[in-house]
Amino acid sequence: MRVELADLVFSQDSFTLRGSGTFDEGVHLVSGPVGSGKSTLALLLAGLLRPERGAVRRHGVLTTQLLLQFPEHHITSPTIAGEAASWGLVPEDALALAELSARADDDPFHLSRGELKRLTLACALLRDPDLLLLDEPFSSLDCTAKRRACRMLEKRDAGITVVFSHERAVLPRVDAIWEMEEGVLAARGSVPDAIPSWQHAPPYLRCALEQGARPMNIRLSDAREALCRIRG
Amino acid sequence: MIRIADLRHRLLDIPGLAVDARHIAVIGPNGSGKTTLLSVCSGIEEPEAGSVLLLDRPPSAVKVGWVGEFPDRTLLFSRVYDEIASTPRFRHRPCPETDRAVRAVAEVVGIRHLLGKKVAALSGGEKALVALAAACAGDPEVLVLDEADSHLDGVTAERVQRVVRESAAAHVLWCTQSMDVAATADCVLFMENGRVRHHGTPEEVFSALEETCFYPTLWRVSR
Repeated sequence: MRVELADLVFSQDSFTLRGSGTFDEGVHLVSGPVGSGKSTLALLLAGLLRPERGAVRRHGVLTTQLLLQFPEHHITSPTIAGEAASWGLVPEDALALAELSARADDDPFHLSRGELKRLTLACALLRDPDLLLLDEPFSSLDCTAKRRACRMLEKRDAGITVVFSHERAVLPRVDAIWEMEEGVLAARGSVPDAIPSWQHAPPYLRCALEQGARPMNIRLSDAREALCRIRG
Repeated sequence: MIRIADLRHRLLDIPGLAVDARHIAVIGPNGSGKTTLLSVCSGIEEPEAGSVLLLDRPPSAVKVGWVGEFPDRTLLFSRVYDEIASTPRFRHRPCPETDRAVRAVAEVVGIRHLLGKKVAALSGGEKALVALAAACAGDPEVLVLDEADSHLDGVTAERVQRVVRESAAAHVLWCTQSMDVAATADCVLFMENGRVRHHGTPEEVFSALEETCFYPTLWRVSR
């Protein structure tokens, strides 16, 4: 299973996105500044935008799910249970995973942004698509909720997961790093080899690298473990 | 000086608090009352009971600049220039003065190239910068930012921090989920269930949070 970007070109007004590369099974992190084209790339990978030139080729990918940055854009039902059902899920399962079981009959718009984010993330994960695209899954969450979201992501053991995020404190374990800069997608490669060349690495990772540590992955715990190894 | 006395409003319950720091970071879990506190402090909401004084005045008598988490909800005009100009225009400032203010603040925030653009064509982060410029265009005495950095990348977030640091506002109330940013404030308020659980210098507050994920990531790797 893989998704291949073949000399992809997409333009909108004065913005042009270009990208090539292959997304294999595993967790990919696409980082990059605001306005660099992360969300546009997510829409292209999801097949919701059509490239101007080049192609997005899916091999063995039968199902795709895109989780939008703003969770309220997903809402189609007046109740939380109904919302979970609209994803084709058993509401009890989704609500249990989102830790919202007590709120089944509430209006989704009465949830806080963080709770709503938890609900849509739980629904997207339970759908278990071959290709899961998560646009800023951690924004607006507090650190406890971000950690929970990371653990949910790390439990996914098959398929291709692409996380588009600028998160700088709580990150999941990933297999590969990509960066968007002014509309151009650059592959940094597999983790851990990709870590030193990661321009948008979070401050804690940069700090660990500067001290000579070589973290095995990108989480704060990985940075601390690597520091312990060199400090003894 | 920010003084809170016997404040009760929705889930907020703050018996008394006096903070005499310029840059105040407000942190805490989702749903702990951070946004509600900021709304009351900026005069957007009147408290059900108790009082808030900024610079010894009620918030309605203070020039407050507000930057929300979701700029889409506060941006009123379709063109970036008009959005930023709205602050002086609503105060009936003369056109040349308005124009000077808009260009000056756009320069400071680094968005001069966006002035002629339609707001709808901007990315989420660019909208946040426009909202910050509009808030600063009125020379606010108190600048309030409600998780304005939640949807910003590191480079843009640093730009926001610089603008905020250099602004002439007497107080900056900044709610953030970035503990590394909060660690650079003069004072930190940690909220939980509508109450201020800890307040003091970053050292004091984060030492009480060392066992939690609210401890700054940079402190974890550099200490």
